[in-house]
Amino acid sequence: MNLSDPVEDALGARPVPGTPRPFTFPVAARGRLSGGLPLVTVDLPGRPLVSASLYLPNGAVDEPADEGGATVLAARALTEGTRNRDAVALTEAAERLGASLRAEAGWDSTVVGVDVPAERLGPALELLSEIVREPAFPEREVERLRDQRLNDLLQARVDPARRAEEAFIETIYSTGTPYARVAGGRRETVETLDARILRRAYGRLGDPGRAALIVGGDLRGIDVVALVAPLFGDLAAGGGSVAAQPVIGDGLDRTRVRLVHRPGAVQSELRVGHVGLPRRTPDYHAVTVMAMILGGLFNSRLNMKLREEKGYTYGAGAGFDFRRFAGPFSARAAVNTDATVPALIDLLAELSRIRESVPTDAEMRAARDYLVGVFPLRFETPGPIVGALGGIVTFGLPDDELDRYRPAIDAVTAADVLAAARAHLHLERLAVVVVGDADAVGSDLEKAGIGDVEVVRDEEPLSDET
Amino acid sequence: MTVPTVSYTDERLPNGLRLVISEDHLVPVVAVNIWYDVGSKHEQPGKTGFAHLFEHVMFQGSRHVAKAEHIALVQAAGGSMNGTTWLDRTNYFETMPSHQLELALWLEADRMGTLLEALSQENLDNQRAVVKNEKRSSYDNQPYGTWQEKLLGHIYPEGHPYHHPTIGSMEDLDAASLEDVAAFFRTYYAPNNAVLSIVGDVDPGQARAWVERYFGPLAPNPAIPAFNPEPLPLTLGGERRETVPDRVPLPRIYVGFRAPTIGDPRLYALEIAAQVLTGGKGSRLHRRLVRDEQIAQDVAMFGLGFSSGPSVFMGWATVRPDSTIEVVEAALFDELARIGKEPISDDELGRAKALIETDELAALQRVSERADRLSMYATLLDDPDEINRQLERYLAVTSEDVRAACAEFLVAANRVVLTYVPADAGTQTAEAA
Repeated sequence: MNLSDPVEDALGARPVPGTPRPFTFPVAARGRLSGGLPLVTVDLPGRPLVSASLYLPNGAVDEPADEGGATVLAARALTEGTRNRDAVALTEAAERLGASLRAEAGWDSTVVGVDVPAERLGPALELLSEIVREPAFPEREVERLRDQRLNDLLQARVDPARRAEEAFIETIYSTGTPYARVAGGRRETVETLDARILRRAYGRLGDPGRAALIVGGDLRGIDVVALVAPLFGDLAAGGGSVAAQPVIGDGLDRTRVRLVHRPGAVQSELRVGHVGLPRRTPDYHAVTVMAMILGGLFNSRLNMKLREEKGYTYGAGAGFDFRRFAGPFSARAAVNTDATVPALIDLLAELSRIRESVPTDAEMRAARDYLVGVFPLRFETPGPIVGALGGIVTFGLPDDELDRYRPAIDAVTAADVLAAARAHLHLERLAVVVVGDADAVGSDLEKAGIGDVEVVRDEEPLSDET
Repeated sequence: MTVPTVSYTDERLPNGLRLVISEDHLVPVVAVNIWYDVGSKHEQPGKTGFAHLFEHVMFQGSRHVAKAEHIALVQAAGGSMNGTTWLDRTNYFETMPSHQLELALWLEADRMGTLLEALSQENLDNQRAVVKNEKRSSYDNQPYGTWQEKLLGHIYPEGHPYHHPTIGSMEDLDAASLEDVAAFFRTYYAPNNAVLSIVGDVDPGQARAWVERYFGPLAPNPAIPAFNPEPLPLTLGGERRETVPDRVPLPRIYVGFRAPTIGDPRLYALEIAAQVLTGGKGSRLHRRLVRDEQIAQDVAMFGLGFSSGPSVFMGWATVRPDSTIEVVEAALFDELARIGKEPISDDELGRAKALIETDELAALQRVSERADRLSMYATLLDDPDEINRQLERYLAVTSEDVRAACAEFLVAANRVVLTYVPADAGTQTAEAA
């Protein structure tokens, strides 16, 4: 290297970081309306697009197995008509405000919200209240939503990632328990859904005392309490039915390999894992750091091995889907067909290796520094800030959870990571799901000796099914 | 409501690098964004997919940065990053905690200046395999996955720079050599072919000094080839159709039209039309196809703006099992004809504009989006201030403008229709028109 080279003079020394500007999670003001509904407001000066969300404390996990999909469909139906307005009239009213209404149920909670320029927050909240308080569940719209969901399930059969997801959860959870199906429900139950069942599902969404209305954005000059009290003030804490505690059943007692035949597939979609952990697991932060090292960062062990060393995939990763109850842990990649077995062997080796010894200092620094450093980037705008506060409601976390996050991540040690891997990765009972060409990979997969291989052959999609 | 004006400085270094800086201290975050004026449209025959493969090579190290270390350094600094390639351009970007701005600038300068010193056959072969798997994941193993290639192939003639998709072909990816990569770098990855935008919690004087320090010594390429493709008419002059058997349960109709080049007011009118046609539950096509007649599972229409020839206005409708391709197609084309005949109502125009205004407000909240748009407008329209004019350009559109643009472009004689049908014994042999 030539020292008189001006390029070398300029670039030869790596810059050192400046002093971080302090960042704290925006301050949330917490109160309750007269009936008992919690109200959380976050003033974010300079953010004129306000995000308002009502978090209802129940979701698809709280529905009975024979009504699978009812909660997701019920939430979707909220914007399909109220006592006074049909869906089109509702949408047009929102659009005139430049607002978009959202209503979506997940596994753990149901969120109904609106994003709107601050000066039109009042009328937008009135619309929000209308769909929450007076949903009509019109028969015709419910039937159409149900049919669309059934058609979507047909589409999911031929989408390799969705097909793999479905086969994976069916393998790791015992039949009939909530997480064994997708939140939107399977054909057998979705076919039976009607307006009456959806109304009942909506009625199950829980006690307003455990719900929260969260409003974030530039609220200067806006009296949020005065706006929301007439709309939501009478929602009474203690109301709403109490759902039975769902049972999350583990479907694995040994390693099972499921090969879903996708004729002629040029890739195999891989999912490897088992039942994971609930969000409130006491070692949440250690598990998070462990998952980053294993399969979260770009330079995670899985991505470096399968992508940057072997070129088997566009991307490999792993992680825990933390829910109110134990969601899945999965490692995943889509690999070229020829690489199916070699990629699985590498993937299993990485799952095993992270349980064997402590990660390197460099890995610990990379994971912790990323999680701590990226925190301010995650909360640039009102939507994600409201979402993070909603997570506190959904999971029943302490109010200061977000303030404690960075110190807790920083305190995770390499020994904590090893302990988390040993406690929570179960290599003796894994689901190994492959969606790929069984004719091309089946015999190699048998020979690999990972576990007994069960080949699943879907019926070919039909276009005349109704 | 007012969408805040983005103030910025716009200057050039002596080596030709265009530098745009915009301050915003709301959160301690800064975005760095580089657009290189090179995309898949610059690829030569037999070398499709090359611009995108090259983008991957840009993460394989440079003189002072090891393979995959670029991303490791950005993530360890608490940042996020990526690169993307499209027909008109390649962009690279980082969003960083603001005290890590200098690192992002140094990383971008190191690869702009010294990439070839780290280039190896092993790394090229590795990323070639990764990109081929990206093609398999995103296109070849996806239902309806060939639509982009087919649509572009019909809308632009053989030999036109927009005829082939950015991902390229497996054969051409296989053929890419180290020498090709080096030549591509020397030609296009020069400071005078790039726009660098820095947006966020930044001291402009300090940022400028870092840019001058790290990028200043990099040599320009005085011989970047001019890019002047043969002009194409803005309409096709006929209808083209193809039936595509695929492993799908529901048929889907894709429709594409040639549309005006980016910056043309008629493209804004067509964007408003897209909003009126499919922009929500109250939109015309959603109401008729999905809600009232219940013949389609979903419907979408949107524009893809391009700068070196006609753009594309396109969409699709997925046919419900209890309906037919013919019925959906007839309803779709009926609505496309109607919007070219009668002006949309004042209420429709007003709602479309209100939603576009909110979308602008939402997008411009984020420093990364502002940086990307400043780079885009500087690269494609030679004027970063277009970031502040977009809303007025949309608001200036009248219902008559929408009708006229639709009458001109959304017509049978300017239309490509791809019909995806479930592949079974009966349709395996369906002809491709």
